[in-house]
Amino acid sequence: MNEMTADVCIVGVGAVGGILAKQLTSAGLKVVALERGPALKTAEYAQRDSIRYIARPDQLEGVRHEPRIFRTSSSQPGMLRYGTSPFNVLGGSMLLWTGQASRFMPGDFKVYTNEVASGVADRAGVDLSAYDVVDWPIGYDDLEPYYERFEWEFGVAGVAGMNPFAGRRRKPYPLPPLKMTARMQLFGEAAKRLGYHPFIGPAAVTSEPYRPPAPYDTRIPERPACVYCGHCNHYGCHVNAKASSLHTAIPVALQTGNLDLRTGCKAAAITTDDGGQATGVKYFDPNGVLQEQRARVVILSAFVFEHVRLLLLSKGNGKHFKNGLANSSGLVGKCFFGHGDMRVYGLFDNFIINGFIGSGAAAMRIDDFNGNNFDHTGLGFIRGGTVGCSGDGTPVSRMDVVPPDVRSWGKEYKEYFMRYYTRTFDVHMAPETLPRRDNCIDLDSRRRDRWGLPLPRVTFAFHENEKRMHLFLADIGEQILREAGASRVWTELPRPAPTRQCGGTRMGADPKNSVVNGYCQSHDVPNLFIVGSSVFPTMSGYPATATISALAYRTAEYIEQQRDWFR
Amino acid sequence: MSQFLTFHFWPLYERTISVNLVKMKSQSSREYRGERLQSLTVRQARFVDAIAGRILPTTDTPGAIEAGAVFYIDRALAGPYRHLRSRYGRGLRALNQNAKARFGISFEKLSGEQQDSVLSDLESGKITEPRKGEEFFALLRTHVLEGVFGEPSYGGNRDLIGWKLVGFPGQQWGYPETYINKVVDLSPVTWEGLPKKPEQS
Repeated sequence: MNEMTADVCIVGVGAVGGILAKQLTSAGLKVVALERGPALKTAEYAQRDSIRYIARPDQLEGVRHEPRIFRTSSSQPGMLRYGTSPFNVLGGSMLLWTGQASRFMPGDFKVYTNEVASGVADRAGVDLSAYDVVDWPIGYDDLEPYYERFEWEFGVAGVAGMNPFAGRRRKPYPLPPLKMTARMQLFGEAAKRLGYHPFIGPAAVTSEPYRPPAPYDTRIPERPACVYCGHCNHYGCHVNAKASSLHTAIPVALQTGNLDLRTGCKAAAITTDDGGQATGVKYFDPNGVLQEQRARVVILSAFVFEHVRLLLLSKGNGKHFKNGLANSSGLVGKCFFGHGDMRVYGLFDNFIINGFIGSGAAAMRIDDFNGNNFDHTGLGFIRGGTVGCSGDGTPVSRMDVVPPDVRSWGKEYKEYFMRYYTRTFDVHMAPETLPRRDNCIDLDSRRRDRWGLPLPRVTFAFHENEKRMHLFLADIGEQILREAGASRVWTELPRPAPTRQCGGTRMGADPKNSVVNGYCQSHDVPNLFIVGSSVFPTMSGYPATATISALAYRTAEYIEQQRDWFR
Repeated sequence: MSQFLTFHFWPLYERTISVNLVKMKSQSSREYRGERLQSLTVRQARFVDAIAGRILPTTDTPGAIEAGAVFYIDRALAGPYRHLRSRYGRGLRALNQNAKARFGISFEKLSGEQQDSVLSDLESGKITEPRKGEEFFALLRTHVLEGVFGEPSYGGNRDLIGWKLVGFPGQQWGYPETYINKVVDLSPVTWEGLPKKPEQS
């Protein structure tokens, strides 16, 4: 197939690439999918091993060859950073995710209209002039059917209607919620007593054996139920209860016979013709030899950093795309953001929590301080974050959770950890970060990866809106933990680097002000699609997986309908 | 403490301590406590073991020495942490120089309180060689605790000491219930090999 022109060439086969491959091959299109990592077997990624996955994730094969540079201001040289987003293997980061599968809320798509233009920001007393907030070109209702498809094909457990702030839904969740844990019980009861609205967060973890029923894709293999081993977040799931495209979408795509899946292949550039159309992808094969795959449509689904890097590296013949492909707006790499994850820890003298049991995604949460769900008047910031119980983990995950007044080593530490390892849980918050152009990704001029490609370089800092939000949410978390009965409570504010990264190729209605349209299609290069959290114009207090999966289903449907492209 | 008794810890503890005392004097040049070292010298291993003993000390329950944290670190420095070997070399030397300057004897011969005092100087950055002392201390602390609480297949957490200390039942296949406000009365287990269902479940 190397010499032939494929209908579609997909770069990156994780959550998004898996869904795209399944949908497009099922529609009869011939797809070549390039994945830079290997196809791992369950035994190779699900060892329940805290040294491998918690202490040394930077040593994982899917991580160690792909560092990025991180710095908090443009005057710094930056430090090498390794992370499991992306996790460069077939199935991607979805192999190691927690499984938190919330939809975004309707208001998350219209932050400019609802909160900037409407005067909420003014009443809050925040100056947003250095930020670049725009609406999504699509809304919650556009994505609702695709969220539903994701939930029913990947198997999401939850309780519909329990969260009063959630968008309307046509169908309930396909699976009942996972078993209640101690932290869920304590958090839920405390939040309720405080007058908040606790609900069981949807988890893409099977509470019962599950296979999608019709009208969803019944070719997806059955998965067994969760066994509550507690090795969820950052670990592979040894029973495949945690949803991953490796065990849902990808096997179905392969069965069609229309997928030419090439693992160990690292994309180097998108090729273009004189007319400014994409013609295919140049990539390094497993032997490091540069190859070219021609395709009628090119889709990038390789996560934020790789999207920006590939576009900036693809300069065509130098005429059309001097500043990189799909970059007439100058916005490729700009408006990068993510969550400022923070935790409030609580120690319990009167309750045994056993936080190492159960799914990390099975959490009781509140959305009372998420998005625009609360009155921001005088608070000095807009937006917020979801607030939920957390604190799963083996001792290696928890050994650094030490109150500020306890020495972190010696006899005092030993006594503390022996007493409280089983008697602690956290309130976890995922505060949203608003987009700014000076939070950005570009290419490092000196440092290169093992293929000789320049490393992506992130410049990012939290600013006033976020910093005030972090302090506000810390108070909420502390209040809940005290109400839950914690005898000691302390907060860990966000680290400098954002988590669950988004942005860099944002979507919008105006080509001057965005990189792709509402179908994740490049404004400049109509046969180039960029799918994933890099297209988010603004974020949400929620992780991205359900939303990028919904975008993938919707984009696949749009591409399938362009029959004249593939004649 | 009640958890400890559940796990029948005491006999085990006595045994590991005596092993520790007898085997401290190594026979061959790369042998320490009866085990062949992979990256550390015997002298370095003695330092690391002494440091481990202060980071998670032996009290009425075993600590990092009995858990074999030094062997975890030795193996890690021969493999995935090999890029940190020179840092260990320089850091341990600086630590020992500080011990000699302050107390006139080598670090591992100091009393526990004196060792703590030298380690505190490292932790606070007062000992600056090679780079920031506080970074080297954080590294040591992390590695020692990994050696206590990590999976025993990496050379530490001998006899699952770390897991028994805190009440973690190990790499269980799963749990039949979520143990809300209940002590988990399961002995810790390790798990290796293919993810197939164990026979008992």
